[in-house]
Amino acid sequence: MISMFTLAIIIMVLAIIPCIYRIIKGPTIPDRVIALDAMTTVIVVMLGVYSFDQGSVFFMDVALVLSIIAFVGTVTIAKYLDEGVVL
Amino acid sequence: MTLIETALDLLSNAFLLIGLFFVFLGMLGLVRLPDVYNRLHTTTKIGTLGAFGVMLSLLLKVGFSPIGVKAITVGLFLLLTAPIAAHMISRAAHRHGVGLCDESVIDEYGKVYTRDRKEQE
Amino acid sequence: MKRYIFLAVIFGLIWCFVHGIININNFILGLIFAPFIIRPFKPLYHFERDFSISRGIKKLPAMARYFYVLIKEIIIANIVVAKIVLQPKIDIKPGIIAVPIRTKTDLGITAIANTITLTPGTLTIDMSDDRSVLYVHAIDASDPEAVAESIRDDLEKYVLEAFE
Repeated sequence: MISMFTLAIIIMVLAIIPCIYRIIKGPTIPDRVIALDAMTTVIVVMLGVYSFDQGSVFFMDVALVLSIIAFVGTVTIAKYLDEGVVL
Repeated sequence: MTLIETALDLLSNAFLLIGLFFVFLGMLGLVRLPDVYNRLHTTTKIGTLGAFGVMLSLLLKVGFSPIGVKAITVGLFLLLTAPIAAHMISRAAHRHGVGLCDESVIDEYGKVYTRDRKEQE
Repeated sequence: MKRYIFLAVIFGLIWCFVHGIININNFILGLIFAPFIIRPFKPLYHFERDFSISRGIKKLPAMARYFYVLIKEIIIANIVVAKIVLQPKIDIKPGIIAVPIRTKTDLGITAIANTITLTPGTLTIDMSDDRSVLYVHAIDASDPEAVAESIRDDLEKYVLEAFE
């Protein structure tokens, strides 16, 4: 009998595989950016579930900071593709 | 264990399973759908709501302890920023020259910004 | 001054949520530090506009109705897109449609754009320079008129009531 926690981690690891496929295969740059952004969402979910299992609040801080960094990174790459400059 | 605790436990487990299923489905859409814009549909809608469901189930499991409050903060942040990131990256992709897939029936945006670019030159 | 107090209360609440423990000490800590954060980024908060709290309170029922519609539409959107992903053979007719909008303020346009992205089968791409047309990518664009009409009737009505 596997626990809910193990099941969650297994499903999330399975969900990362399509992202990695799209990052390697992706015909264009925006495809890869979207795949990276989606992978960050999956990792945030994994960190949340892991934080609950360990009973430690610090992994939740990691999840919050990771989601902020992913958002800023996606917006930066989008601006770079659009205008050729970052700032 | 009272009845309310059992009900909360069942509800949070249901939210967890639904959330995990939706996140997995969103990532599956990343492989199955044909072009950038359709892939954005799956990752921004299904992926984000799935993540929010998982965070809600954590809140139901632990109540308003630090873990639960931070979980719901992460969920709300994802729900707020995913549309903005999707809008930025789709606009950049269209101006970068990524075309729509072959099944597409209409493109009213391409005409507008190519006209703008000609006027600037 | 009234604007500073209003924003400081919001900052205090955000600090409580980020810290993880909701109590009066954390709220006051956020309240004290808020002006030092608002001051350097003053242009972002539009201090030159008029501002009244009573008008905001009057809009609370409209906002509640808007959030109810938003949550309902998000759940429908997920089921629609999940069905498309699970089809054995992908059969879609995507396309980009120009949708005229009636909202004028920054907040209203942001709200309608984010709402469109989270609702069934549509994704905002860009706004025209004169702020009257949104370009929307629809996953089923076989009938452009119907998509524009559903956005105007189902969503924009509530956004106009809540944020204008």
